[in-house]
Amino acid sequence: MAATGDEASAMDNISRAPAAHSAALTPAAGSSSQAEGPEDAAASPAPAPRKPHTNSDGGVETAEEAVEPAEPDINELCTDMFDKMAIFLQGELTATCEDYCLLENMNKLTSLKYMEMKDISINISRNLQDLNNKYASLQPYLDQINQIEEQVSALEQAAYKLDAYSKKLEARFKKLEKR
Amino acid sequence: MASVESQPRFGQSVKGLLSDKVGSCSGDVIALTRQVLKGSRSQELLGQAARNMVIQEDAILHAEDSLRKMSIITTHLQYHVEHSKNLQDQLRHLLK
Repeated sequence: MAATGDEASAMDNISRAPAAHSAALTPAAGSSSQAEGPEDAAASPAPAPRKPHTNSDGGVETAEEAVEPAEPDINELCTDMFDKMAIFLQGELTATCEDYCLLENMNKLTSLKYMEMKDISINISRNLQDLNNKYASLQPYLDQINQIEEQVSALEQAAYKLDAYSKKLEARFKKLEKR
Repeated sequence: MASVESQPRFGQSVKGLLSDKVGSCSGDVIALTRQVLKGSRSQELLGQAARNMVIQEDAILHAEDSLRKMSIITTHLQYHVEHSKNLQDQLRHLLK
């Protein structure tokens, strides 16, 4: 990850070149100086390939990549880059946060539903207790009604028997009257 | 992670290497973030929890309907008991 020998010297040249130029030039010429800066920085590594170990590769000519002219303020670009990175990372994390928020809302609604059901259950329980108490108070009367019903049934049976006996009696009386 | 790419490429300027390095570091940060989120399995677990909640919602609504019907039936029973109190008075009168 650390810059090696060639890169370290080249990067030192890049860092030194804008400082030297900014001390001499005005801000209006700052863009041109910074434009020159990369050129100087590009020029400074130019000797790097001329170092012995690159020349030992056979003196191959190096060519610099064709790049667009550098933007005037690198700090702004860096700030912009980090801001956008932060926004992106925040967006990635916001997705999970939104899932948690969704679950939280669902849980809250479910807890409200359960509270309503609890209230309804409490009302039902109270009403059923009242009903049981009233039924308990009615129980003697219901027993009396059952007794009455049994007695009426017994009375009905007795009435049937009496009716049958009276019919027999009538038939015997008529028989005796005919004699 | 990118040690091979940090070697000076033949014919490439230092600025190009720097921009590549910055780009690769940004990509690594993004990949790390995504891996952390993926490894925590929060998306799967939260999604599964939401699906389970949706499945249970039907049962909860049905239970609420049943409870409301029970409350209505209980109210009707109370009306019947109130009516039977009148009959209770009549019975008391008859049995005397």
